[in-house]
This record gives sequence, C-alpha cells and structure tokens, in this order.
Amino acid sequence: MYSQEIELLLKSKNIKIGDKVSAAKGKLIYDGILMPRIELGDPSSLVIKLPNGYNIGIKYEKDTKIRLKERGRPIRFKPAQITIKKDPTKPIVSILGCGGTIASRVEYTTGAVFPAFSPADLLLSFPELKDIANIKGKKLFDLLSEDMTLSHWQIIAREVEKEVKSGSDGIVLMHGTDTLHYTSAALSFMLQNLPVPVILVGAQRSSDRGSSDNLVNLVCTTVAATSDIAEVSVCMHGSMSDDFCYLHQGTKVRKLHTSRRDAFQSVNVLPFAKILYPEKRIEYLRTDYNKRDKKTIKVDDKLNPNVGIVYIYPSIKPEFIDSLSKLYEGVVITGTGIGNAPTNPFNDKFAKSLIPTLKGLIDSGIPIVIAPETIFGRINMNIYTAGRLLEEIGVIGNYCDWLPETALVKLMFVLGHTKDMKKIREMMLTNMAGEISKRTET
Amino acid sequence: MSEKINYKSLGLKCGLEIHQQLNTQHKLFCNCSTEMKERNPALTIKRKQHAVASELGEVDVAAQFEYLRDRTFHYQVFQNETCLVEIDDEPPHNLNPEALHIALQIALLFNCQIPEEIHMMRKTVIDGSNTGGFQRTAIIGLNGYIKFKGKKIEITQISLEEDAASIVEEKNGNVTYRLNRLGVPLVEIDTGLLIGYAPEEIQEMAYLIGIMCRSTSKTRHGIGSIRQDINVSIRKGARVEVKGVQELGLIAKIIENEVKRQLTLKKVEEETRIAKLDGTTEFARPLPGANRMYPETDLEPMAITKEYLESIKKSLPEPWINKMERFKTKLRLSDLLAKEILESEYLNLFEKTISSKRVEPSIVATTFVSTIKDLERREKIDMSRIQEHKLLEIFDYLQDKKFVKEAIPEVIKYLAAYPQNGVGDAVKELDLKPLSVSEVKEIAKGIVTPGMNFDKAVGIVMSKVRGKIDAQEVMKIVKSMMK
Repeated sequence: MYSQEIELLLKSKNIKIGDKVSAAKGKLIYDGILMPRIELGDPSSLVIKLPNGYNIGIKYEKDTKIRLKERGRPIRFKPAQITIKKDPTKPIVSILGCGGTIASRVEYTTGAVFPAFSPADLLLSFPELKDIANIKGKKLFDLLSEDMTLSHWQIIAREVEKEVKSGSDGIVLMHGTDTLHYTSAALSFMLQNLPVPVILVGAQRSSDRGSSDNLVNLVCTTVAATSDIAEVSVCMHGSMSDDFCYLHQGTKVRKLHTSRRDAFQSVNVLPFAKILYPEKRIEYLRTDYNKRDKKTIKVDDKLNPNVGIVYIYPSIKPEFIDSLSKLYEGVVITGTGIGNAPTNPFNDKFAKSLIPTLKGLIDSGIPIVIAPETIFGRINMNIYTAGRLLEEIGVIGNYCDWLPETALVKLMFVLGHTKDMKKIREMMLTNMAGEISKRTET
Repeated sequence: MSEKINYKSLGLKCGLEIHQQLNTQHKLFCNCSTEMKERNPALTIKRKQHAVASELGEVDVAAQFEYLRDRTFHYQVFQNETCLVEIDDEPPHNLNPEALHIALQIALLFNCQIPEEIHMMRKTVIDGSNTGGFQRTAIIGLNGYIKFKGKKIEITQISLEEDAASIVEEKNGNVTYRLNRLGVPLVEIDTGLLIGYAPEEIQEMAYLIGIMCRSTSKTRHGIGSIRQDINVSIRKGARVEVKGVQELGLIAKIIENEVKRQLTLKKVEEETRIAKLDGTTEFARPLPGANRMYPETDLEPMAITKEYLESIKKSLPEPWINKMERFKTKLRLSDLLAKEILESEYLNLFEKTISSKRVEPSIVATTFVSTIKDLERREKIDMSRIQEHKLLEIFDYLQDKKFVKEAIPEVIKYLAAYPQNGVGDAVKELDLKPLSVSEVKEIAKGIVTPGMNFDKAVGIVMSKVRGKIDAQEVMKIVKSMMK
C-alpha cells in the first residue's frame, strides 16, 4: 500500500495499479507501469516498472508529477492448457493444499506468486508426476504454516478420510514447512487404521525459482504415496543435493535448520525409506511400518487446545511456570539434558527450585510432561537428583525419546480424551504412533 | 579483410554490455570473501533446475529450451568463499554497502541519474550459472553518457548485480560450476544503440568504459574480471547477442566475424552466441523472451537519500579519461605509455612520484611499466622484496643527479637482492656516482683512435661507463674525439 497522500493523488487522477504512467520530478522522468507498493520500503515512493523489466522507486514530493499514459490490462490467469488422460494402470494420488506455496505460478509483472492446485497446474509445473500416478488436486486453505491451528488439523484429517474413502491410493499434503512436523505428529495420532500412505511435503526454497526443491520433493513424495508404507510421514530433501529424499516417520521428524533444503531430519530413529531422484526408486530403511491393505480408515479428532510448552533454562522463575496454570490444562517442559530442571537440592543461595510449583500444578490436575531440550536422545529421570525429584512428584516422560513438539501434540490428543490423571499418565506412556521408540537408533 | 567491408552501408548496429567486477572485501549478499583464490573444492553439490510456469500458463521459450536439455549441475563449494547463500540454501543478507558505494561512484562518473529508491530484481537465468535460477540485479543509474571523439555516447543504464558462477566443464549433460565467483559484485554498463561506427571504434569505446570504471580504484583486474556482451545486427540480419567476451582486443574481430557470418546466411535467427578465444562464436541458445524479471522479495527496497548521494559526489575520484588526457598533454606521455601506466599496479606510486619529484614523467612511467616488468621477467626479480618508499627514493636520487637514469635497473636489482639496504647503499656499493664529461673523455682517450669504427668505439666506451653517464653524452664525446 502507498501512503495516503499518494493513494489520494492516484484516485484524483484516476490512475490504477498496472496502468502505464509517466512520472516526473525535475530532470528525472520515468515512463513505465505503476507497480503496487510491496510491504517493504518507503510507502511514499512510487514504484515504476521500466520497459526492460526493472523496477525503480521515485520519492513522492511536492514537485512530483504523474500522468496516465495508457490504461493497463488487468492481469488474468489463464488456466493451464493440459489434457489429462487417465491411465487405468496407474494408482490415484490425491494432492491436497494446506497452505505454503510448494506449487505456484509467477506473475512476472508484479512478481506475485499464485498458488497452483488444479491437477492441470500441478502437471504443468511437475510433468513427471503423470508418469507416477493419476493426480487429483484440491486446495483446502491458504495459510502460512505458523498460523496453523488444531482446527486446521481436524479439517485436514477429515479431508484425508474423504479422499481415502473415495478410492485414492495415496494422499499427499502440501504444507508450509515451519510447523509441518506438528501437523504430521497430530495426524499420526488422529488418523488410525490407515490403509494407504499419507505424506506431508513442503519446499524450503520458493517455488518461483528454477532451483526450488519443490520438484524433487513432490516427485519423491508421489512415489512414496504409491508405496506400501501406509503411515503418516514427511517426505523432504535428504541432502543439499537434488539426489534423494527421506521419508520420515510423522512423529519422529523435526525441522532442524532455518533454510537448508535438508532441514528435516529423523530424530532417534531411521527414516522409513530413501527415495532416489531422478530414478524414482525406493530404498527401504526399515521394515516396522504398517503395510498398505484394505483396512477402513478411522479418524479420532478429539484434541484439547489448552496445552502449553515451556523451555527450561537457567534462572527460570517458578512464578512463570505457575502462571501457566491459568491458561493451560496440561504443560510440556523441555528438560535440560537427560531430563532435569532446577530443583536446588544443595540449597544454593541463588538457585530456585521448580519442584514446589510443578508439584502444585500436578496436584491441581494439570499433567506435566517432560521431553528433552537436546532434541536427540531419551529422557532418563533416574540418573541425577533433579530427575529423580521430578519423577517423584509425577512428571510424565521417563524413558521417552519423544520430540518436545510430538509430546505437546500427544498431550493435546490425550487431554481431548480424558481428564483423569492416572489415565493421562497411562496413555502418555503408551506408544500410539511410533512417538516412543523402544530402542534408540545409533 | 576488414577494409573491404563497408559497415555503414551494411547498417551495422551494435550495443555493448560491459560487466566489471568490483573489488569489495565481501560478496554482494553475504560475508564470503571475494578473493577467489581457493583451488580445491571442499565439496560438490548436485542440483537440477526446472522451468517455472508464468501466469499465462506457459514456460518461457529460452527457459524451456534449457530445461529440455536435461542437464545436471555440479556446484563446487570453496571454504570461506561460498556459504549457504551461494548454494541457494539461505536467503540473501543485506546489500553490501561497499559495493553500492562503488557502483554509485561509477554511475556518477558516467553522468547518470540515480534512482531515489533501488529495487533488487530477480532475472531468470536457467543455464545453471546461478544456483537459484535467477540473478539479482538492480538499476543504480540511468540516462548517462561518455564522451567519445567529441560525441556523447549514450549510457542507457548501469546496474549493480551479482556475478554468476564460472563454468568448469560440460560433459554429457553434466555441467560443473565453481561457486566462488557467484555473488561477487559487478556493475553492468549498457550503451545505447551504436550506429555508424566501425568495429575498431566500438572496441575503443569498450576500452574507455572500462577505464572509466577503474577511476574508482575499486574494480577487479585480471582474467574474467571484465566481460563484454555485444549485440550485433546488420540490416539484412537479425539481432544476435555474443556473450562473454573476456578479451577487449577481440571485440572488433568478433563484430567483423559476426557480420560476415550473418552475410553468409539466408535467414538469421535471433540468438545468443558464446564468444570463443579465437574471436569466433558458437550457438548457445535462442534469445530469451521478455518478462523474465520480477522483484526480489527477500530484500527491502533501498532509499538513496540526497545526503548519501551528496557525500559520494563530494569524494568522487577524477575520471580516468580525464587523467589519461592529463598524462598525455601535461605530462607528455605517449598514448601507449599513458594507457600502460593507467593499467599498471604502480599507478598510485607513479602519481605520487610525479607530484613530489622533479623528474621527467616519461622516465618514471617507463620505470614502472617496462623496466620493472623486464627485470621481473628476465632476471626473476622479486619486487615484493622492495618497499614502496625505496622505489620513491630512487627518484629522489635521480632528481638530485646522484646517478643517471641508465642506472635504474641496477639499483632495483640491488634493492631486491639486499632488502635491508637503501638506495644510498646501492649508489655507494655499485659505484654509480655519475662521471663528468671530462672524466669520460679521460677514459675514452685510451680507447678511441682516429679512423676507428664509430659504433665499435661507442660500444667499448659504454662498457666502461655504463650507468654513470647518459648514452647520448658518450656518443657526443666519441664523435668529438674522432674528428
């Protein structure tokens, strides 16, 4: 948006974004297309696209003159012109858009990136998909992944159920990457009795660039969607090269880098498989997965949103933990190291124990769950005094190698089903969707 | 050959795009070094690139062409010179302020208008030379000019952009690139349409443009640091872009060859061709279509404030074109010597010497551009062993007539051999104290006899007095004695 002053001027001259204009100030004269003001930079500078495609800005001042030269044509999207023939010998894969722009088309005038979800659009951008499967495409919502909520997870779960029941042989969920692993964990608990693969995929580099990881990720995901791994999983780049993707278990995967294309890694377990690109061949790394069969999918979407998570750190105030009781019915703490938190057993004059506060919360019916802030490794509260004190007051999580985010989502799921502390404890400590592994992989 | 072609009547039109690397400490969008000195890659990354559909539901012609070639790119990563930004695994950091400063200096030297706000763009490139599939580029100057033979040559646009990766090899659909050049700042200088000029004149303009950039003393030198793209067309032909001309001296030849090529063809296709080292070109791809440019949304547009621009104007260096004229007229250097000293690494020292010592400028220039070069080549002298102030001292002694100019090579050799000693030591130890005319006459008396061959006589006398008196003097003396 431009400044109010410019907006008024444009209105008075009947100039619209996209019109050909001549903007002049002193010796400076620029002829070109008036561009929309992107959110960054100075809103009182006019942005003009010159005939050679470059944009420049002109600071709007009293002596700035702007004149309409030619009315611009509105930018219209032509639907992708592709005839799709159904191949009865190939499986059907449904691709559902849950936000993020893994597939998109670029409008080169403004640089706007438009998400593409129709099968024709997808096949235009990723022609290789048609060699793998018959593609169905549907957009569920436009959303930044950080805006994802439990309600969105519930919608996704129901939509997956619909697609499976309508005969899809595999489901691909396109998703923004930031919270992708929360959604994969949630679906792992909600989607039960899965007959087909359900795979989440994203792209770390924007889809407008020829180098985007979207192509390799989506092709590998579609290959995995036709495999016999009937699990909720995440398929993303396995290295910085475009040579393979990993298929990660939905409850054991985490985004561990802000920008690299191999940001997603399996934690404490091996990925289910490696999908080689461009060979489109699956190399299985595990055998302990649910196989594709004719089961009937079941959706259990009862979730409790009143669950919080807090990082344990030096000098943390007990009052901070206590304040969570006003907002939440369950709390996950990320314990230091192997499962500790300040307990001050030596009565140090500076240290403050969290034990009384945590005990107060547990006694009032708020379960406290612990997960390792080291990300990798397993909680063991029997090693140090602090851990033993936490275990003693009823903190849940001993011997669990879950990820903090997975523990959070599981607690939402469990609290959607019971308020009984004994039952909560039992459900939390029972492996439901691979979130607690028996062995820690070397 | 070239004399036979009348370029004017053929309707030769050319356009120059000159790419000059800037000598900044860091790259344009990250803190990697721009030195490009690493030889062995730390690792190699394998990537594919694919065409991106536009809003019209079609893929750009040039882009698709490349795409269909189905190539795999192998990117070599170098320690300190490549980070996640270059391998397209991290967004760009802020625009390098040092690069912007130099680029704006160049734009002002070319009399350009400077935009009040700079918008970085993504220009689609799908040959793999940019890991992201696009090159970042922004206009930093418009509507400038440079004077050539009394006329104004239009400089339509100057942009600041990131250099592409350099190609190592291409084999069976596998293309290997070195990533250390990717992201090095460069300016692209575009001329207007050049009509009615001969190929040699176009080459001369390219030279002047390069010289102008070097006025900032912040441009890179050496192979590949300046590259020219030339648009060539004749009335009966089509616009052909010849990319990547690294040798300035090849420009005229390339234009001539391209005109000849177009003359032999029935139908000329618009296309991009790559310049080869022998001045011929080979087909690269069809000319890219329009609409390949869109905003770089990872970077904020940058305001160029009046205060900032004023501060750059105030400290603008002397344009080298003016400097070259000054060298020729005021310092009476020959055309060649003026060009050579401008391109010499000793330019600063030359100017320092000229401004502080009363020595003939051509002697100083010759010392820096040819004497030193000869010594380095023939005698393997290591100039890094001689401190700058000692080179200046040579001209102090020369000014005070402590030795004659013929002794300069001997002094330099001495200084390189004994880095702890000074010019005074050289004069003493090499016995360089100039001989007076009467002293030389005394020496010549025992050598020159009437009727002797003149050249032989001069030769013998010279061998006794070399480096202690001007050779012209010796000839005069010998001549007088043979009468």
